[in-house]
Amino acid sequence: MATFVDIQPTQQLDPIKGVKKMPLEEFFTSGHRTCQGCESALVMKLMAKAAGPRTVVLGSTGCMYVANTTYYSTSWVVPWMHTQLGSSGSAAMGAASGLKALMRKGKIKDEPINVIAFCGDGGGADMGLSAISAALTHPDYNLLILMYDNESYANTDIQLSGSTPYGAHTTFSPPGKMKRIMHHRWKKNMAGMLAAGHPTCKYIATVCMSYPLQAMNSVRKALSIGGPTFIHSLDPCPKGWDYDPMQSHEMGELAVTTGVWPLYEVEEGVIRLYGKTKEIAEGRYKRFPVRDYLLRQGRFAHFTDDDIDYFQSKVDQMWDKWLVPGVIPFLKEVETDHPPK
Amino acid sequence: MGRLFAVEIVYRGIFQKTLAKNISRAIVLAAHQEGKPGISFGRYGDSPERNGVPAKNFAIVATDDQTLEEGMAKYEPKEVDISIAVDDTLCKGVESWAWYGLQPINRLLKPGGTLIVTSREEPEALIEMCHRKEYPYQLAIVKGIPSFSGLWVYKEDHSDVRILGAIAKVLPELFSLESVQKAIRAEWKDELKATSAARSYERITTVTVPPNQGNPEEPFKFELPKWSEMREGVTIPAIPRGHAMENTATQQVGGWQPERNPTFKKFSTRTMRPVVDFDTCIKCTLCWLQCPDSCFDVTPDGLYDANMQACCGCGVCEAVCPVQKCVTMVNETQFRDNDSQWEMWNKDKEGYKKWLLEKIEHGPGPQRSHGFRYRGQYEEQVPEMLEIAREG
Repeated sequence: MATFVDIQPTQQLDPIKGVKKMPLEEFFTSGHRTCQGCESALVMKLMAKAAGPRTVVLGSTGCMYVANTTYYSTSWVVPWMHTQLGSSGSAAMGAASGLKALMRKGKIKDEPINVIAFCGDGGGADMGLSAISAALTHPDYNLLILMYDNESYANTDIQLSGSTPYGAHTTFSPPGKMKRIMHHRWKKNMAGMLAAGHPTCKYIATVCMSYPLQAMNSVRKALSIGGPTFIHSLDPCPKGWDYDPMQSHEMGELAVTTGVWPLYEVEEGVIRLYGKTKEIAEGRYKRFPVRDYLLRQGRFAHFTDDDIDYFQSKVDQMWDKWLVPGVIPFLKEVETDHPPK
Repeated sequence: MGRLFAVEIVYRGIFQKTLAKNISRAIVLAAHQEGKPGISFGRYGDSPERNGVPAKNFAIVATDDQTLEEGMAKYEPKEVDISIAVDDTLCKGVESWAWYGLQPINRLLKPGGTLIVTSREEPEALIEMCHRKEYPYQLAIVKGIPSFSGLWVYKEDHSDVRILGAIAKVLPELFSLESVQKAIRAEWKDELKATSAARSYERITTVTVPPNQGNPEEPFKFELPKWSEMREGVTIPAIPRGHAMENTATQQVGGWQPERNPTFKKFSTRTMRPVVDFDTCIKCTLCWLQCPDSCFDVTPDGLYDANMQACCGCGVCEAVCPVQKCVTMVNETQFRDNDSQWEMWNKDKEGYKKWLLEKIEHGPGPQRSHGFRYRGQYEEQVPEMLEIAREG
């Protein structure tokens, strides 16, 4: 295949060896209008820090567009451009191919430039899926699509998205007296789906910024491996999940230690679980009950014990029954599903 | 021509969204009880709200329909009879979500108008926080811990009806206590809430703030370019790269101070601020690394100094710090400036230690809670808040 692929070299971005070796410089800085304790803003900051100065960032509509770059204002140190809600994939492709063409024609200096397009779960898992899928099938362009997933359309005041977890309270799924659970769908498995379906894509990972070193090294690997890559980040959202912002970091840790959010990377087709997720899979770390995670969030305040048990059973199934635990939801036999009434 | 009443409710985005909506809605409902038409609305530019970023609701009431229509022709009121700050730290100024610059909390108050504040502070402390005004106005304090909850679960601590009772006292022309109680009974069907409103009505005291009393600072402003001055493609310059820091005492150069967005500073979002004990800091990097607002400057000696122009007070730094009382969140009412703590520590380490201990141990003010931490937490907090309400 390599003979047909016309790809340029990427930047050499070595893994960061420890938090004390972290680059000091910021490329996404203070003065954005996000919520107190916004983990998605933290993703932007650390993503930019990992990528470094020779980077172009494209952002589709969502909190990280509206709050960071309100009229005539920006927090970006590197060049940043807005793109439409569902077009992070096409914008990344366009920017990467544009840079390639300008370099070939000698209009700009020939050098590797990181192209990162980010999208929220609404812009990525819902609206942008086809464009992201298309971008990941083109091996000729170096680009990273990073999806920051706060599990709702948080910017427009928390409507449910394909990424919203079962039963959560959103503007579109308010629990009522007659019907308690108004959202019955299970969260879309974005990284697993893209990894399973895009053999030309060399790198797909899930991250959580409560584990910043691994997440930043994921960004670095995605930018230096060559070709299109995808990272899915779970971002606790104090506004939509309804919790005290000081718990942002802890909430991300809980998502991982309860097994709700598995951390893994798929590098050239090879799957590797990492961090606490790896310990869980190897039986070295006992998963926390999801109750610890759910009862800390106002969006699950209406859950009964039955609902919590059901949520737990679905997470257990992910670990005990899936052919690739935590990653791909293929089962060996049909399982019955009985959500509480 | 009738009389037009305007009331603004200034609140912390998301945390007090339901509270502010309850107040402005009930103002109009209480006025309806007296046959006065009115309308309650949130300020368009504040939506989508962000946790902690100041936002506003308005209640406009008139003695007749025509006066109301005339009042409503304005996008938002240019002056108000009452400004309500449901959190006392808003007295330091309001930098709204889609606004540029800082606005004094009393900016829209008419001469002689009333600023109602929920606080446990004394009037002197609040007046010192509010920006100066050329003419006198009234200050009324509803004694209590500012009520914070989240988007989905509301903390039912009677903060809403206590404000309503206070309004009936300071502006009886708008509506009487009786009308407020009628509206409360109709809206909440809760006699206890009606009693809370009456208690607040009886207890509320007002002081007159004379002209030119308060914070003398000029609130910061920005010049935005006119459309004819914009660049091609409406592009704007990026934030410049930062620079190493210098210790002016030792001439040591190092660390990193990022440049920051000059048009949004975010400190008016803060209700608590981190104070850092540089002597016990183990330089683990976590506060700096985990701060979503990049507010920590890395000093030449490898310490982390929270920049008080940029910090919005989320408290993540305190949560991730592995050392006991190295980073401590302290009530924002305890501070009068945004100066660098590291520079203060550099100049006088003994003095700093004393200041720090005083802030942490003696002066943190009421324990603040910024929303949902676990199921059942609000139910635990409400009795204490109601107790304070009873004491007045």
